[in-house]
Amino acid sequence: MSSFVYYKFRSQREPLRVTFDGTGISIFDLKREIILANKLGDGTDFDLSVYNPDTNEEYEDDSEILSRSSSVVARRKPPAKPGRGTGARYVSARAPAPLASISATSPASRKAVGANDQKRLQTTQ
Amino acid sequence: EPVDQSDYLEFIALGGGNEVGRSCHIINYRGKTIMLDAGVHPALNGLSALPFYDDYDLSTVDVLLISHFHLDHAASLPYVMTHTDFKGRVFMTHPTKAIYRWLLSDYVRVSAISSNDASTLYTDADLNASFERIEAIDYHSTTEVDGIKFTAYHAGHVLGAAMYFIEIGGIKILFTGDYSREEDRHLNVAEVPTERPDILITESTYGTSTHQPRAEKETRLLSLITKTILNGGRCLLPVFSLGNAQELLLILDEYWQNHPELDGIPVFYASSLARKCLAVYQTFINMMNDSIRKKFRDDNSNPFQFKHIRSLKNLERFDDLGPCVMVASPGMLQNGVSRELLERWAPEAKNALILTGYSVDGTLAKQILNEPSEFASITGGGIKVPRRLYVEEISFAAHVDYKQNAEFIDLVNAPNIILVHGEQTNMSRLKSALLGKYKDLRLTENEVKVFNPRNSEELRLPFRGVKRAKIVGS
Ligand SMILES: [Zn+2]
Ligand SMILES: [Zn+2]
Repeated sequence: MSSFVYYKFRSQREPLRVTFDGTGISIFDLKREIILANKLGDGTDFDLSVYNPDTNEEYEDDSEILSRSSSVVARRKPPAKPGRGTGARYVSARAPAPLASISATSPASRKAVGANDQKRLQTTQ
Repeated sequence: EPVDQSDYLEFIALGGGNEVGRSCHIINYRGKTIMLDAGVHPALNGLSALPFYDDYDLSTVDVLLISHFHLDHAASLPYVMTHTDFKGRVFMTHPTKAIYRWLLSDYVRVSAISSNDASTLYTDADLNASFERIEAIDYHSTTEVDGIKFTAYHAGHVLGAAMYFIEIGGIKILFTGDYSREEDRHLNVAEVPTERPDILITESTYGTSTHQPRAEKETRLLSLITKTILNGGRCLLPVFSLGNAQELLLILDEYWQNHPELDGIPVFYASSLARKCLAVYQTFINMMNDSIRKKFRDDNSNPFQFKHIRSLKNLERFDDLGPCVMVASPGMLQNGVSRELLERWAPEAKNALILTGYSVDGTLAKQILNEPSEFASITGGGIKVPRRLYVEEISFAAHVDYKQNAEFIDLVNAPNIILVHGEQTNMSRLKSALLGKYKDLRLTENEVKVFNPRNSEELRLPFRGVKRAKIVGS
């Protein structure tokens, strides 16, 4: 049976969905699917973040599993280092980022969005 | 001393910050939001080519002003109007709107061909639906929308290009868009508005480099063309279909008129888009410069009805038998006719490739300037095309160089300058040059501040002085 996770780019009006098998999908795979489905290229020219739409918290840990039928907000943003967007990591599909080994998956490991982001996020909802 | 939050003007480049491509800037002041341009990046595809729209709540935008029809300034407009929460009003000049429609339906068609499924940004239906909602304005007439006032001035650059002089809550802003100050065969040069703005947002495409004088450039171009065809070679001039293509065609038509000995050598332009839009050019001659209007009156013939240049509908109809001059789109050799001809002609040393526009990083036009011995074929599969043809850049890009930009900046005399539309190095060189130029004014009341924000980086400028002065005065 196919499962879905719904996502919406912050600026977009209509939500889209990612299809997978099983009861959940890792943030890593979700980001990879979003990049491929939207033909975002090699990923070097942007960073991709996904957020919980209710709390506006970013899912920072790529190994975190999102249960099926959840919704996320996706955000394509300029790379912190020009030409070295972290989007590339998901396209080349290497192992999930090592964040999980540094700190356990807990709400504390997610960085809250900044004040301005918060303002913009809320108004986008 | 802390300033009231409402006294900050917020500027954010969602695109065109330290890059050329996908121009889009947001200004917010006192609860009013203006968006300037909505472009795509020519070196990127699909959603990746968009400005970073996720970084701003587009539902808050009141007014969107489009400076001109070029794709890097206008091609994401249908996306913004049909796929985001944007609800604002959209303005552009009459000629821009006339050409925009042709240009974008061509863009929809080309992107549908070049990407292997339907992941294009928008459809023809989206384009049509949004087109009806665009409001066309005249140069020099002021429009007011809910406390936001703006006026379009001539910007040179291309037919219909506008600079916008904007006023919100007592703060005045001039946005140049892409602009040129050198008179060519058909356009008005960019005007200097009579009022002094508080902020100037200016392009910085050419940074601190200097253009060769126009007469010298034309001589170089025409002698290279003559030499190549006398040698039995073919000349390929990749152009963006609209803008400097029309200028080049005027130059070539005049040269062939004055040189009957070249009669047997065909000059083609291979762009169905340019052909369709010639009617628009013919219609808007009244918005062009004095010399072309005079020519139109005196000769009683339309300068855009070329006498020595033939339009080529497609390459199947082209008998590639000998020397010729081919003006073909697209300008950066990404795909299409110019790319196909380049791959056909590149192996022969007697042929010439003449790049007359600005070549964006990441495109073949930019790479081939380094004269590689081979380049990748568009047909894929790792096929390489040997390059032996002669490559030369003779820029007719209608952008200001350092001298022209610096002179204009002096005339406009704004205390705050925000640089946009320039690759990182060019932009930072321009910033240093300007700061050096105005260094004696530092820490005086006439200090000139120069900013070169990156994409999505928020710039906040305090304007408390203006408000205080107003209150005192009233
Ligand atoms: Zn332009
Ligand atoms: Zn431009």
